[in-house]
Amino acid sequence: MKHTNTTFGYDALAHFGRVNASISHELKNVMAIISETAGLLGDLSDMASSGTPVAPDMLSDCTKSIVEEIQRGFAVIRQMNRFSHSIDHPVESVNLMDVLDLSINLSTYLSFAGTTTIAESDGQPPVVATCPFLLQAIIYQTLVYTFKHTGNNADVTVGVNASDEEKGWKIVFSGFSLNGFQVFPDPLLQTMAESIGVTIKCDSTADWLELIVPSAIDESALLDGGNIG
Amino acid sequence: MKVLLVDDEQKFALMLSKRLELRGFMAQVFFSGEKALDAVEAGNRFDVAVLDVKMPGISGLELRRQLSALDPEMKFVFLTGHGSGTDHETGRIMAEECLPKPLKIEQLIETLNRLIPGV
Repeated sequence: MKHTNTTFGYDALAHFGRVNASISHELKNVMAIISETAGLLGDLSDMASSGTPVAPDMLSDCTKSIVEEIQRGFAVIRQMNRFSHSIDHPVESVNLMDVLDLSINLSTYLSFAGTTTIAESDGQPPVVATCPFLLQAIIYQTLVYTFKHTGNNADVTVGVNASDEEKGWKIVFSGFSLNGFQVFPDPLLQTMAESIGVTIKCDSTADWLELIVPSAIDESALLDGGNIG
Repeated sequence: MKVLLVDDEQKFALMLSKRLELRGFMAQVFFSGEKALDAVEAGNRFDVAVLDVKMPGISGLELRRQLSALDPEMKFVFLTGHGSGTDHETGRIMAEECLPKPLKIEQLIETLNRLIPGV
């Protein structure tokens, strides 16, 4: 297993930057809607002041829209907070369903995002000791590849199953064609996966893609003398 | 002035169109570049197109290229939610103006009136 120093350095920072850029774009859209709606309320108020009748449902539609966008903004900020804290500990025990949920939520802020559904998981919770930030980055990049190659009508299903061959879990992606996955995983993603013992398997003839996540990784192998990056 | 407004953020586009209409503009809204192209190809004519830069499917820049081919007289304004200099520079190269979101309606009105004076 390779050390994560270089992986946890610039490349991880680059991922952090890209995701935060998409979050900020989403929040700007929320602000833009609130701004326009508030502006429209101002216009309607001016109309009423000058004696022009204003339909009450126009006012209620505007206030309802503002409330909805504020809730949407809070939801985005919650995901931003989860993402920010995913780097708190280099290695910790996490439920793969929670990591999947965060990765999928973050991917929805991409303009080219399709739809992703998490298949229900049976049996014991899929808990692993891993680097949450890097695992989340790997899942996110995998979703980015599927969206870019399938388009906005992508309808991806992601499920977690116990791994047959190795001690750990399989994150299985399905519902899209692997035709056109010419370079997957790319060297950066491959290096990132190797650093936390994740194996990426895909079969373009059968249209499946799996991330095999070990149940635990060696924290001392991950860190170099206690320093990361 | 007939304005073609294209933005995948539906609430934003609808609110903006209402504000434009209150100011005497005729605004027609589409939530995708594909639908906007269909309308122009069907013979609908617009003085100016206000386009979001980043949209699913056809991007604002590509939409501008295709609309220009259909109607060389059409003027363009880009709206962008990105803070990067690239978007603003691209907007300035490809179109008459590029305005940031959240939008200042007065800035948009001033831009539209400057692009199509006297309409």
